[in-house]
Amino acid sequence: MKFGKYIIDKMPNIIIYNFTIFIIISLLIAFESKIELIIAVIIILLVVEIIVITIDYLKKQCFYKSFKNNLDNLDKKYLILETINKPGFYEGEILYDSLYEIDKSMIENIKKQTINKQEFKEYIEMWIHEVKIPIASIVLLIHNNKNKVNGKILKEIKKIDSCTEQVLYYTREEFAEKDYLIKEYNLKKIINTVAINNKNDLLELNISLEVDKCNELVLTDSKWLEFILNQIINNSIKYIDKTKENNYIKISTKKEESKTLLIIEDDGIGIKSNEISRVFNKSFTGTNGRNNKKATGMGLYLVKKLSNKLGHKVEIEAKENEYTKVIITFNEGEYYNVLK
Amino acid sequence: MKKILIVEDDDVIKKELKVLLNSSNFDANYLNNFETAKEEILSYNADLILLDINIPFINGEELLKEIRKESNVPIIMITSKNTEIDEVLSMSYGADDYITKPYNPTILVLRINALFKRLNSTEKNNVYKNIKIYPEKGLLKKEDKEVILTKNEMIIFNNLLINKSKIVTRDELMTDLWNNDEYINDNALTVNVSRLRTKLKDLNDEELIETRKGQGYILK
Repeated sequence: MKFGKYIIDKMPNIIIYNFTIFIIISLLIAFESKIELIIAVIIILLVVEIIVITIDYLKKQCFYKSFKNNLDNLDKKYLILETINKPGFYEGEILYDSLYEIDKSMIENIKKQTINKQEFKEYIEMWIHEVKIPIASIVLLIHNNKNKVNGKILKEIKKIDSCTEQVLYYTREEFAEKDYLIKEYNLKKIINTVAINNKNDLLELNISLEVDKCNELVLTDSKWLEFILNQIINNSIKYIDKTKENNYIKISTKKEESKTLLIIEDDGIGIKSNEISRVFNKSFTGTNGRNNKKATGMGLYLVKKLSNKLGHKVEIEAKENEYTKVIITFNEGEYYNVLK
Repeated sequence: MKKILIVEDDDVIKKELKVLLNSSNFDANYLNNFETAKEEILSYNADLILLDINIPFINGEELLKEIRKESNVPIIMITSKNTEIDEVLSMSYGADDYITKPYNPTILVLRINALFKRLNSTEKNNVYKNIKIYPEKGLLKKEDKEVILTKNEMIIFNNLLINKSKIVTRDELMTDLWNNDEYINDNALTVNVSRLRTKLKDLNDEELIETRKGQGYILK
């Protein structure tokens, strides 16, 4: 609270007061009072004016200064009431009480939203578990009754399954505080699951999958990492460069100090250099996406989000018409090492 | 024949699972009455139980715990709950494996076979038509003749042997190979099968692997 601004704010009062002094002095002069009396009255009135203004200023300044200070330092501004005392002047009390009411109503609203969100998340999770059952039935039915049409149906069913997976992980990422479990896993096993998942597409498009040992242990949630890798491999398959003779996806690992790098490289159509910084943005589809109508802009967004939650770093390097390379960095958990 | 009990309440899935497992040389059956699930399961004397988590009356994980108090029968949990926490929980209650829906049926059968193999590692079933099989060494031996198989050829041979006298599709062989981290393509599979065929012919003179066009291979 600045004194200057306060004075400007109080200017009408001051003007009225000073005007009153002026009238009193005029009256005193009109009645030919002694000059000493006039001076004494002027001094008394001015001193009283200054004292009144100062006291009022100090009272308010004391409250607003701590109020402003605390507010600036607070990360969650709505907690301001917890940090200040109820002020000793009327306007302050009105402010304090109003803030209390406002906070209360906001917290109630947030609570309501949180519950709604939680219920929605639970519903989505339940729905996905439900829908997995008919998907599993169809997969079994197709397997037990093989023919050409069924093979095509299986492909479509796999698409439905991968869409539901995406919804599941989107809800998990968006709505769940902590829905994962970090443990030590062998990358090879996780890669294997993802490879088999995409086997039919890879074979059909004649993309060779080259997995270099990848026998490293990393700290992760295997289900989440499976989803992440699946998105990356899906992209490699989706954005294959059919003009090349030998399409490949190479998966390898590299040890760097206390880090493990997982590198997934393909010789697909790559990404334009001016678009590369935006590929992890939500709903970003880019030139490649526009040419391939099925892009939703969700895959890599989820890859980034989920990786961040797990504490893995994801980077992407690419050159248009040449290659795309995704690098996932796993840190060795210091906390985990202490436990070991 | 190994007896497998399917504990699953979805009608289509349990019936199709039965078909799948029966056609993979298992004696499969499903549980009908869930009210007394534990007693029924224990009295069935199965060699393996496929247990779903979402079943009526009792939670699958609870049931698993109850069964484990009285029996060590191998149990594979099958569920649509695809979280790490559920898997860790099931394994800590004593499940032998954990598979999420929708699963690849071929992989399911492979995992069942792998589980049985793990449990009966002492059981010797390593002779086929006077050919002795040494999987670890990748060696086939008949009298004084022997041939060395590559890892891929051994995987193919083993798969055909487990499904002896039955057609094994190329997709099934491919899945088995991929499951063993051998990510080969269609041409390589054809090459591997024909090499295996030649090697077996060296040992046995007669043709052992028959090709069924458009269907797959069969080991006589």
